[in-house]
Amino acid sequence: MATLWITLAVVGGIAVVAFLSRLVWSLRPQADMAGTPPAPLERLGWIGLGVTTVVGVGLIVIVILVGTDFIDENTTARGTFWLLMIVGFGLWGASWYVIKRRSGGVVVDERDRAILARSFSVESLIVLLMLVTWTIALSEAFSEDGVMPIAYLQLIFWSTFVGGAFGRSLGIVMGYRRGIAVDA
Amino acid sequence: MPKASIANDIRRLRFEHDEMTQQELANRAGCTRQTIIVLEKERYVPSLSLAFSIARVFNKTIEEVFEYSGEE
Repeated sequence: MATLWITLAVVGGIAVVAFLSRLVWSLRPQADMAGTPPAPLERLGWIGLGVTTVVGVGLIVIVILVGTDFIDENTTARGTFWLLMIVGFGLWGASWYVIKRRSGGVVVDERDRAILARSFSVESLIVLLMLVTWTIALSEAFSEDGVMPIAYLQLIFWSTFVGGAFGRSLGIVMGYRRGIAVDA
Repeated sequence: MPKASIANDIRRLRFEHDEMTQQELANRAGCTRQTIIVLEKERYVPSLSLAFSIARVFNKTIEEVFEYSGEE
């Protein structure tokens, strides 16, 4: 049984690396679009990628250093987590306000709305993958005990929340990099 | 980025209209400058309403601004 899980983990790991490599490659600037200033929504997408990456990595570091029940048991870790969330997402929201004021003219048009609509599919995929991973991991970890610490509920929620926001930002950036040739 | 199947004369028409900038055209057509850029590179097919808005800016019909070039 252990061999099966190891094999699945290796195959899954290779698939994830291949997928991420293709994803990163698709984000390269297109040659004929070099020098084109980013659209306001694209700027917001890049900022969102940065914010959610920092918050996500921060959450992982907190869990590694303090443990999974940090939200209930450790005031410092809980404060750090909330600070990351509030500052990170607050900056993200404020950046949209600044971007809108500096843009002048139309900020979001039909092409931007089409890209925004399609970004939902990337967000959905990442949320689904995270929920599947959590379900399998927690089922395997606590199947013998039959009970799961309640701290994991909050961990599942916040990690999926941040992952979903990351997915939405990634979908937006991919939409601009890959382009939409067909109208909405 | 895939090439759109509709060609256009937006860039030429802009220069013929007192060298209108992309931003000016975007403001008058109700879209962003980046959309005008990808339109001129024929990397985006506008909706009917946007196509009409752009044609109206140049006092042209849609057919005088856009041309269907077939499937890619």
